[in-house]
Amino acid sequence: MYIKGVGMTKFGISGKFSQMLAYEATLEALNDADINFKDIDAVVCSSLEWFFSIEKQRHFAALLASVFKTHKPIIRVPAACAGGGAALWVAQQLGYDNVLVVGVEKLMTCKSESITDEFMMAAESKWEQVEGLNFPGQNALVAQQYLEKYKKTTTEHLALISFKNHSNALLNPKARFYGRKVTLEEIKNSPIICSPLRLYDCSISVDGAAACVVTNEKTDIKIIGSDLCAEYLPTWEREDSLRWEGTIISSKNAFNQAGVEPSDIDVAEIHDAFTIVELIAYEDLGFCKKGEAYKKIEEGYFNLDGKMPVNTSGGLKAKGHPVSATGLAQIYEIVKQLRGEAKDRQVSKAKIGLAHNIGGAGGTVTCHILKKICG
Amino acid sequence: MAKIIRWICEKCNKKWIYPISRCLYCNGEIKKQIGMKIKVIGFTRIHIPCPPHPIVPYNVLLLEDEYGNRMPKKTIKDYNIGDTYEDIPSKEENAIAITKIKYDVYEAVKEALELIGDIEVDRTNKILIKPNLSIPGYPYLGIGTHPEVMRGLLRYLIERGANPKNITIAEQSFFFPFDKAIAKSRINQIVKEFGVNLVDLSKTEFIEKKEREFVFRVSKIVYDFDLIFNVPVIKTDMLLGIDGAFENLTRFLSKENFNEFVRDIKKAIGALAVLPNILPRFITIGDGTIGMQGNGPAEHGEPGFYNMIFAARNPVVHDKIVQEVLCLRRLPYVELAGKLGIGEYEVSKIKVIGNELDAVRRDIKQPIGSKLIKKD
Amino acid sequence: MKRYVKGVGMTKFSVESRTTQDMAIEAISLALDDSNLNINDIEAVVVSTVDTKVNTERQRHYPAVLSSLLKRKMPIIRVPAVCGGGGAAFWTALRLKYNNILVIGVDNVLAGPTPIITKEIMNAGENLWEQEEGLNFPGQNALVAQQHMLKYGTTHDDLALISYKNHLHGSMNPKARFYGKKVTLEEIKKAPIIASPFNLYDCSISVNGAAAVVVSRDKTDIKVIGSALATDYLPPFERPDITTWQSSVEAGKKAFKEAGVEPSDIDVAEIHDAFTIVELISYEDLGFCKKGEGGKLVRDGYVNLDGKMPVNTSGGLKARGHPISPTGVAQIVEIVDQLRDRCGDRQVNNPKIGLTQNIGGAGGTATVHIFRKIAG
Repeated sequence: MYIKGVGMTKFGISGKFSQMLAYEATLEALNDADINFKDIDAVVCSSLEWFFSIEKQRHFAALLASVFKTHKPIIRVPAACAGGGAALWVAQQLGYDNVLVVGVEKLMTCKSESITDEFMMAAESKWEQVEGLNFPGQNALVAQQYLEKYKKTTTEHLALISFKNHSNALLNPKARFYGRKVTLEEIKNSPIICSPLRLYDCSISVDGAAACVVTNEKTDIKIIGSDLCAEYLPTWEREDSLRWEGTIISSKNAFNQAGVEPSDIDVAEIHDAFTIVELIAYEDLGFCKKGEAYKKIEEGYFNLDGKMPVNTSGGLKAKGHPVSATGLAQIYEIVKQLRGEAKDRQVSKAKIGLAHNIGGAGGTVTCHILKKICG
Repeated sequence: MAKIIRWICEKCNKKWIYPISRCLYCNGEIKKQIGMKIKVIGFTRIHIPCPPHPIVPYNVLLLEDEYGNRMPKKTIKDYNIGDTYEDIPSKEENAIAITKIKYDVYEAVKEALELIGDIEVDRTNKILIKPNLSIPGYPYLGIGTHPEVMRGLLRYLIERGANPKNITIAEQSFFFPFDKAIAKSRINQIVKEFGVNLVDLSKTEFIEKKEREFVFRVSKIVYDFDLIFNVPVIKTDMLLGIDGAFENLTRFLSKENFNEFVRDIKKAIGALAVLPNILPRFITIGDGTIGMQGNGPAEHGEPGFYNMIFAARNPVVHDKIVQEVLCLRRLPYVELAGKLGIGEYEVSKIKVIGNELDAVRRDIKQPIGSKLIKKD
Repeated sequence: MKRYVKGVGMTKFSVESRTTQDMAIEAISLALDDSNLNINDIEAVVVSTVDTKVNTERQRHYPAVLSSLLKRKMPIIRVPAVCGGGGAAFWTALRLKYNNILVIGVDNVLAGPTPIITKEIMNAGENLWEQEEGLNFPGQNALVAQQHMLKYGTTHDDLALISYKNHLHGSMNPKARFYGKKVTLEEIKKAPIIASPFNLYDCSISVNGAAAVVVSRDKTDIKVIGSALATDYLPPFERPDITTWQSSVEAGKKAFKEAGVEPSDIDVAEIHDAFTIVELISYEDLGFCKKGEGGKLVRDGYVNLDGKMPVNTSGGLKARGHPISPTGVAQIVEIVDQLRDRCGDRQVNNPKIGLTQNIGGAGGTATVHIFRKIAG
């Protein structure tokens, strides 16, 4: 299938309820696609139910029916942080001509202790949550294992990834950290959250929504690869906690469908809920061998002016991470890059892009490959 | 004076129960449709409770207005099908209005003020608005007066003829820098948007006022205004029970004066109770858009999500009803103020308009470990 | 789109406290046995479960939990839609590009005191317009029932007959909550009022349970000939006619058209009866009778076990139980069992075409599926 249009709200602290954020993103996407809502055949949305929020909304599909004034089929496909990617994966298989995919999340409605508790529920209940292993903790254990095994990689490399993403967000008007410069010193000296991860290794919670219109009709952006794979919930139950099979399987299938190699990718949006996740993904996606990501980071391979820019939008770290909307915000960025509409952060001659979305600590992974069709 | 709101597209006439910006189908302009001739077309009496609605049995009416728009409404009183549903406004001292917010804070503030008899303003009135911005915090946490309530109140006043140049927002913070509080709460944006004045009370001159055995040092500027709005944010508080109408007045005093009183609990209760007597008359608008529950702002309290606006001409009436709605133990300074005749304290003599008291009572996280509140 | 049902399985719906993993494994094993497949033959899984605060599971990333449980790394997605989750998950599974897809619904609802469960289910209504006004789930449907009675003369006795029919069927279903428990019409009419005009026996009962179905492209004896999903505005009061649930109407029309059959061709049906009025309105919305004549259909005995089209031979949500997400899948289990002649005492005579209808919330989402028995 093809992508007609994309839209997203500015990520940040918003006073609006989530249905209004979804409405705003949809208006922009429909405008970009030059299509009226009448011509949409179905809607796939993604959003989570929160316990401590002001929203108290469980039946989001019907709420969207009220907001869009429609009776068309609407389903909700949540998947922790991979909701956006999962919704797009489902939307392509429904068999309709024009499908609206929208992801929305409103996180900033309670104090940060409550938000930490909410995120913790994506971990295993009796084995991890009761032992105090919250979301940063899960990833911190993986980070420590990685740094122990591959001694050439250090926290310096993690800080470089964070710095890269912040430098990119400086140029993205939709990002949370737009216009707010952050130096490498600040990143390296920020307080420890869950050792060895510091404040600037962790992505930032925001409110936001993103939408896109997928269609059977030929447009300039074709989805040439799309796959989803679920994995064991706790990282320590997997055979090798440093190889996230969800990424390996879904990206292998996506590359096969697309008929391309990792070296053909011009620009990528890689899930960086924590800097270590982005680093491990470089290897699992096939951009470098296991344990050797540090070489490419030092070369600047993934920088904006490097061989294959990654997270030109600022990534989850600096653009913001509204859980279910992230996957679609990644699609937004790739489409803008392929269409030459990314302004200050444009990658030259981008033809093939990849969007990689992870749920929880690797429990669900989606991989989408988009190609610019000329003429 | 109950209202049913809809947002409708002028071109294609589709109706929404949410405030959207543009029509999704025809890009038309959106305008508000408010129905005020309301009839009861159905009702159900519910016998099973849940924490936000603990008092059973209660009724939920199905109301319909002259445009055919409907909405449900909770009451304890019984109604029959075909009855007219309306609220009668009252200008009396012992009246308090409680309105619920339906995605439009301006409408809720407007209705609350109309239910206590409307406010008359003109270009010459000098208006003072006192929000609670003592602790810096983002609006979504409910720590300070919500900018939407300020926006709604300013719109209401300016539409009725007030001159923005004659409106002043004044506040001070005893423990935090004033600029930080103003910026984080987004009030500075409001000041710019409406072109009103902003004053840091800690930089004003304080004059001495005596009441009974207490010596107060109160900001001089309070006496320059002829219309004053006290706009506290409804928070539970470990020390005082609630941060309501009375607590918000403490920041009219100088910091040293305030510190004298808090050292001695008995003195604090006595002083707080008579504080309204040394100030000119004011109207209290309680900001319950989000508010706080639990141990209050300083000790890990959390947002309350009350979704209500209170409005009263008397602070004793306001704080007493807030205490009843949140099912808290009695507040000694409010009870004392009632005994001294500053306002009506008996619930049976207070007129609650807009929503019934038993219909809005709710089960919230109580403030525990309070030093001031004795067990009943 | 040619899809067939290979096998089905469900746990007994009960008040027993079991983890969702435990119940899921039981239902999945039964379904795999019935399909004559191994877990390694399954290519994708669609799970439906709600994320409630009341049970202590706190498991927000259910697809990964299932991956751990089934020891498989394949596509697993979650499609919740409150009470309509089972139907929505099945609808989605029919459209995925894989073969041998497992559809599982599992929920652990009965894990706390009733007021807390009431509040959890209340969150399926509109936040500021309904929940703040105390309109819990029985209340929403009660207002609809009252309007139907006023408009069409339906009486509470008609609703009692529906409840009696479902209890009669449920007492014969070993997997039902009320298996072996007979209930008389007198008991039903004299039960205490929950939300007028509903009494205890008009409301479906919350239970824990799981149900699973394997859907495939390989030809079997049960073909899915019609499948549709439609939505409607979340709050019933916003719809032009409260007593017509447009989501059912549209889903029904689409499904019948795709199947190439009429309502009169249906031999047995499972119709959503979260409250007795919902079943009655569904008769009208799906086209089994004219608008307003649902009561007459019941009084004529058309939908009884010995009538022209038996409805809810499993006991329905009322007597079999309503564990929220598994309900939609359990309805499919019953229809497949009926078409395969495995229903013992409640077997309908030689049915060829069966229908399931699953509704989410108060009509927000509706799915209709039609199944045909292929001979030979």
